[in-house]
Amino acid sequence: MSDVIRVAPPSADIGEVLISEEQIRLKVAELGERISADYEGRAVTLVSVLKGALPFMADLMRAMRIPVQIDLMEVSSYGGTTTESTGLVRILKDLSSSIAGKDVLIVEDIIDTGLTLNYLLRYLRGKNPNSIKICALLDKPARRLVEINIDYLGFTIPDEFVVGYGLDFGEYYRNLPFIGVLRRELYETQ
Amino acid sequence: MTEQARFAHASEAELARILDYYGVAWDYEPRTFPILWNTDGKVIESFSPDFYLPELDLYVELTTLKQSLVRRKNRKLRRLRELYPDIKIKLFYGKDFRALMLKYGRFDLAASLSGLEGQITPLSVRQPKLALTVPAVAASADGPTGAAFEAAPIVAARAPSTRSRPRVSRGSRRRRGRRAFLAARNS
Repeated sequence: MSDVIRVAPPSADIGEVLISEEQIRLKVAELGERISADYEGRAVTLVSVLKGALPFMADLMRAMRIPVQIDLMEVSSYGGTTTESTGLVRILKDLSSSIAGKDVLIVEDIIDTGLTLNYLLRYLRGKNPNSIKICALLDKPARRLVEINIDYLGFTIPDEFVVGYGLDFGEYYRNLPFIGVLRRELYETQ
Repeated sequence: MTEQARFAHASEAELARILDYYGVAWDYEPRTFPILWNTDGKVIESFSPDFYLPELDLYVELTTLKQSLVRRKNRKLRRLRELYPDIKIKLFYGKDFRALMLKYGRFDLAASLSGLEGQITPLSVRQPKLALTVPAVAASADGPTGAAFEAAPIVAARAPSTRSRPRVSRGSRRRRGRRAFLAARNS
C-alpha cells in the first residue's frame, strides 16, 4: 500500500458558508435564463478563464437554452512562477478558435481588483469579436482598481477570503460545492 | 516604470510591480494637492497620492500602517475629496494590501510589507501557514504553495540603513522639514 498523506477534509477549513450550494444553483439558473433571453436568436461563445471559473461555466452553459460554444483561456497570475521571468502577464493557454465576428461572453468566477479582466478585455477586443460581455459569479468591489462593467453578476460579496466552487487557496478547495470563507488561521502569518 | 521610481515604502514598489505586470500605466506621486492654507494664503498642508493611473484617471494611496495610525491619512483624504470632488482616489489600507498579497500567493510579503516594518527592514521570508493543512507533496511543488518564496528585490527602494535611529514615515519627514523651514524663515 502506498503512503497516504492525510489531508483534512476541505470543508473542515471553512469558517462560514457564504453562499450555499442551493443559492448557487438558483443564481446560475437565473443567470442562464437572463443570458438566453438577451442573446435570443443568436449563438454565444463563452470564454472561461482557467481554473477558477470552470465549475461556474460548466453549470452556466447547461442553464442556457441558446446555441453555445465554449473556449478556455489561462493567463499567468502575478506572484506565480512566471512573474520573475518576464514581469508581464503571459497567455498560458490561448483561445482554440477565432472569435472574430462572434458574440463573446467572458465567464469569470470572481472580480476583485479587475486587473486580470482588464488585461483580458484588451486582449480579446484585439481579436475583433462582434461583442464582448462579462458574466461573473462573484464581485468583490472592496479592492477594485479597474472599474469593470459586469453585465451579468451573481453575488456581491464582502471583503473575505473565499474558496470553493472553483475558487482556490494554494490550488485546494476548488471542489467544494459551496462558497465559504476560509478560516483565518490557515492563511494568516504568525 | 518600476526601475525609475523611488518609493518611500516597499508596498509601493510591490504595487508598481503588480501594475507593470498587468500592463497598467502609472506615475508615482505626480501631483501634490494643497489641502490646508494659513490666513496668509500659504499652503501649510498638502497631499501627494502615491500613484496616478492615467488610463483609468485614478489616484491610489497606499496606507499600510496599522489601522490605528491611519486616522491622519483618512482626514487628509476626506479633505482632498471635499476640495477636489472630481478627483477619483482609491485608498488601500494595510488589510487590503495584505489581502492582495494573499491573493497573489505572496504570503511572505503579506506579512513583511506592513507598516513600519516595510520601511526599515529587508523583506523577511516566512512560510505560509498553509503547510499545516495541505499534503507534504504540495510543499515541493512550484508556485504559491511551494517552498520559501524569493522575495522580489525592491527596485530603487531605500537601501538598508546602518543607522541606529529608525526611519520615520514620509509624512513625519515632511512635517519635520516644514517645521525646520518655518523655524529658519522666522529666525
